[in-house]
Amino acid sequence: MSTELLTFLAMIGVFLLGCFLLKLPVSISMVLSAIAGALVGGKGIPLRHLVEGMFAYVDTILVIVTAMIFMKVIQESGALDAISSVIIERFHKVPALMLCLIMVIIMFPGMITGSSTASVLSAGSIMAPVLMLMGVPTLETACILAMGGILGMIAPPTNIPAMIIGAGIDIPYSGFGLPLALMTFPLAFLFVLMFGYKYVKSMNYEEVRAKLRTESREKYGLRIYIPLVLAIVLMVINKAVPSIPDMGMPLVFLISAAVGCFTGNRFNVAKMAKESVNSVLPVMGILMGVGMFIQIMTLTGVRGLIVNFCLSMPSFARYIALAVSMPLFGAVSSFGSASVLGVPFLLSFLAKKEIIVAGALSLIASLGDMMPPTALAGIFAAQVVGMPKYTPVLKKCLLPCLIVIIWGILFIVFANQLQFLIIK
Amino acid sequence: MITIIYRLIVAMVISLVGWNLFTEEKITNQLNCAMVLIPLILRMLMIK
Repeated sequence: MSTELLTFLAMIGVFLLGCFLLKLPVSISMVLSAIAGALVGGKGIPLRHLVEGMFAYVDTILVIVTAMIFMKVIQESGALDAISSVIIERFHKVPALMLCLIMVIIMFPGMITGSSTASVLSAGSIMAPVLMLMGVPTLETACILAMGGILGMIAPPTNIPAMIIGAGIDIPYSGFGLPLALMTFPLAFLFVLMFGYKYVKSMNYEEVRAKLRTESREKYGLRIYIPLVLAIVLMVINKAVPSIPDMGMPLVFLISAAVGCFTGNRFNVAKMAKESVNSVLPVMGILMGVGMFIQIMTLTGVRGLIVNFCLSMPSFARYIALAVSMPLFGAVSSFGSASVLGVPFLLSFLAKKEIIVAGALSLIASLGDMMPPTALAGIFAAQVVGMPKYTPVLKKCLLPCLIVIIWGILFIVFANQLQFLIIK
Repeated sequence: MITIIYRLIVAMVISLVGWNLFTEEKITNQLNCAMVLIPLILRMLMIK
């Protein structure tokens, strides 16, 4: 057995031991597994590399934190309530369309932040009572939130796994918009209808209407939506007028959040900001841990071993390998899966249109957020609806996960035929 | 200018993570907060 393989097994072993046996947070288990890997790989405790690894996702972390603050402001100011009530009031006669719009709202925070957790915890926690109010059972609601979170994370404009995979072979994050939209929205609509339509089509609207929270909309009128509109304008203004410098997503979110403090209900800003950071601290820790994990994999040659393995596989086996290994590696994290497996798989499909392939790989990698022990989307979705265990959500989502894998593989197979979707 | 703004944003995040560090009750969560703080402090001080 080669040293690299031994190191890899040691890292995975320590990680699983930390998560399942010692019940440590995923981030701490990752740090321990990175240290174990360095020791087995004969590198001692390489402090510089461990700290270097933590920096891999600092920018992503800033986006997640500021986006979470923005989402909390939208929630506390009453804007999210306003949007939900408008959708139900306007579209209750067309339940299928209403469910699709609810799914877009659930996906929205993930689309903006690139984090499934942000989707599930913010818009998901607002929409869960609405869905249950309309008659969707608890388990199905959790499944809608989990799948919405995952697909929101992959949907444009922000797809962090695609950015990570692209960065591995120096593809700029440009031209991904339409392919990612086509990869995610049809599936999102399919899943929400699959889980919710049969319950919602027979809902009692009068009963639901009585429970809708419309106060913020009636009290503040259109101004309640200003922070949302401002965020969208600030995001696209640089694209429309290139002479205006790009201020970056964190600043866009903070400016919009600051405006949102004055457009709706009043709330304690410091407490809200602290709670926002608290809800994303596990994700921040996981990203730091993934950075260290991957840095040590690179340092000890484990990453090279995986790249070699992926590149030397025959064509058909590659599809099976990516369908199985990418979601499974998501047990570490979907970002880790994108980084460690996404890049070599993209290299192995280099004859195909790489933007489509990178997007499809990111879609398959995102399923890692359903994979225990991390299972960020699944676990948080179960928590939001008040389910004590996450396992039923995982079981119920197996079919949608399989559909996601098949959809992703179809995009890889027909990547060259789909290149007309790439608009830069 | 944008560098200064972003250093201020990082400083704000540091203070919020630090606040959570002192209000967390579980030692593992405190460790998580401490770990998150390391790169943020280094970035704010422009050491890395």
